[in-house]
Amino acid sequence: MITYRDIHKSFDLPVLSGVDMMVETGEMFALFGPSGTGKSVLLKTTIGLMIPDRGDVEIDGLSVYEGGPSALLEVRRKVGYVFQHSALFDSLTVLDNVAMGLPEEVLQRLSTIEKVRRVWEALDIVNLEPKEVLAKIPSELSGGMKKRVGIARAIVGRPEILLWDEPTTGLDPVNTAAVERLIKRLSKELEVTSLLVTHDVEGGLDICDRVAMLDGGTLRFCGTPVEFRACPDPVVQAFVDRAAAEAALDMVTDTYV
Amino acid sequence: MTLPLPAPIVRWLAAVGRVARITAEHAGELGLLSWRIMVAIAQLKVSRHDISTQLYIMGVQSLPIVFVTASLAGIVTSQQGGYQLISSSPQYILGTLVVQSVILELAPLLTAIVLVGRIGARITAELGTMVVSEQIDAFESLGRDPVAILAAPRLIAGVITMPLLVGFADVIGIVAGMIAANIDVGMGTETFIYGARLFWHSWDLVYGLSKSVVFGFAIPLIAVHMGLRTRGGAEGVGLTTTQAVMFMILTILILDAMFPPLLLQ
Ligand SMILES: Nc1ncnc2c1ncn2[C@@H]1O[C@H](COP(=O)(O)OP(=O)(O)OP(=O)(O)O)[C@@H](O)[C@H]1O
Ligand SMILES: [Mg+2]
Repeated sequence: MITYRDIHKSFDLPVLSGVDMMVETGEMFALFGPSGTGKSVLLKTTIGLMIPDRGDVEIDGLSVYEGGPSALLEVRRKVGYVFQHSALFDSLTVLDNVAMGLPEEVLQRLSTIEKVRRVWEALDIVNLEPKEVLAKIPSELSGGMKKRVGIARAIVGRPEILLWDEPTTGLDPVNTAAVERLIKRLSKELEVTSLLVTHDVEGGLDICDRVAMLDGGTLRFCGTPVEFRACPDPVVQAFVDRAAAEAALDMVTDTYV
Repeated sequence: MTLPLPAPIVRWLAAVGRVARITAEHAGELGLLSWRIMVAIAQLKVSRHDISTQLYIMGVQSLPIVFVTASLAGIVTSQQGGYQLISSSPQYILGTLVVQSVILELAPLLTAIVLVGRIGARITAELGTMVVSEQIDAFESLGRDPVAILAAPRLIAGVITMPLLVGFADVIGIVAGMIAANIDVGMGTETFIYGARLFWHSWDLVYGLSKSVVFGFAIPLIAVHMGLRTRGGAEGVGLTTTQAVMFMILTILILDAMFPPLLLQ
């Protein structure tokens, strides 16, 4: 379970001003919001990649900001993070990139064969052909492949929680659908808790148990997809309508163009 | 509350305050970064493989440019010295002049400036790119310490490489100066060496090499620090890289000016 308590964060301007949010264990939770509202910032505060000015995050009873370095390390072990722009290490091969997802002392213990086996398995899960990509470096991969290597790196260490920062943005429809199916499958098969930040509102509403909308520094809405669609708040409505229109437009372009 | 001060003075005070704040911020962050690097080294968390890669990049790959810089420095000192000293002093003084200039000042300073361009800028751009593409975040999210992985090997390699390169530059600069003296004013090797030995202090060599160790620490430290501060895309990387180069050159010049009062009494 992830609990955000009164998270505040400003840069030149305030970005988050008092976010309270709770993601239950085993749940798939989607976070929506217009561009630049601080979704990535909130996700980063979850594991101390950005330190909030005020507030705390608690993960399964561990305080990220008051538990000291050992709690932070334990939290990072539990959590897999899929970055918005893949964030692969560009000097390492796909094999070494994915292997970095294993804890340091595990990696030192593993034989090369065992290491390759673990990486192979993770690449298989994200539908990449291990034989083809293992020895490549990130600049030799397409955007969609990079995203999937990034996902493999996040899951290879068998996290209990996965944080997804826009895993489908910039992907073509086929890959988008594939990644969405993958998120759902991982959540079911590996029984992980997923917190998904996405612009693909329709996709998010389809696959998630609960959704929230971040706007103006706080949560504007938090509830089930059905409640979200029926929410009378005009800002939420505008967001739902625009998302629906975009989805319809996508379908039209897919069919006729 | 309004201050009973004219606007230009208020603005001036604000600017002074801003500069003081930024200076304190950099100093604090540099101190913290050095501390974290020391801790990583003490905990033996630095990969030997990464250190040797950096030694190769900083050391071996810098040899050609250091060779060119040092030879030209030796030649120019010899020629200009020969021009200034002719008829006013005994010829062998030229040997003293070249050796002392090269060892005390030219080799350490010019090598440092060259390394700012070759190594410092490269480190800042490399780490800056890693920041804006979230690779640094990725290291942290995977429970790795980017300071141990990226900063420490570069700093260790800098501290080892710099004195070696400066030693190399010393030899090249002196030999080039000697050859130039021979060609230019027809001075024999023995006369040149006689002049060099007449005023030789071993301390001078220690002094020059101590400088180089300090420069070898400062360049990667500032480069890493600036790289990790990068914000905002490719433009941000460009901006911090230029800022880092200015910062490194100024620091080198200031440190260089602090050495004589401290160590040459
Ligand atoms: N390191 C930083 N330094 C300064 N400002 C930042 C930093 N990171 C984010 N911001 C600012 O915080 C705000 C929120 O950024 P964030 O990346 O969280 O948006 P987002 O909701 O993820 O948007 P998008 O959907 O486009 O990814 C933006 O205005 C951004 O300029
Ligand atoms: Mg974002």
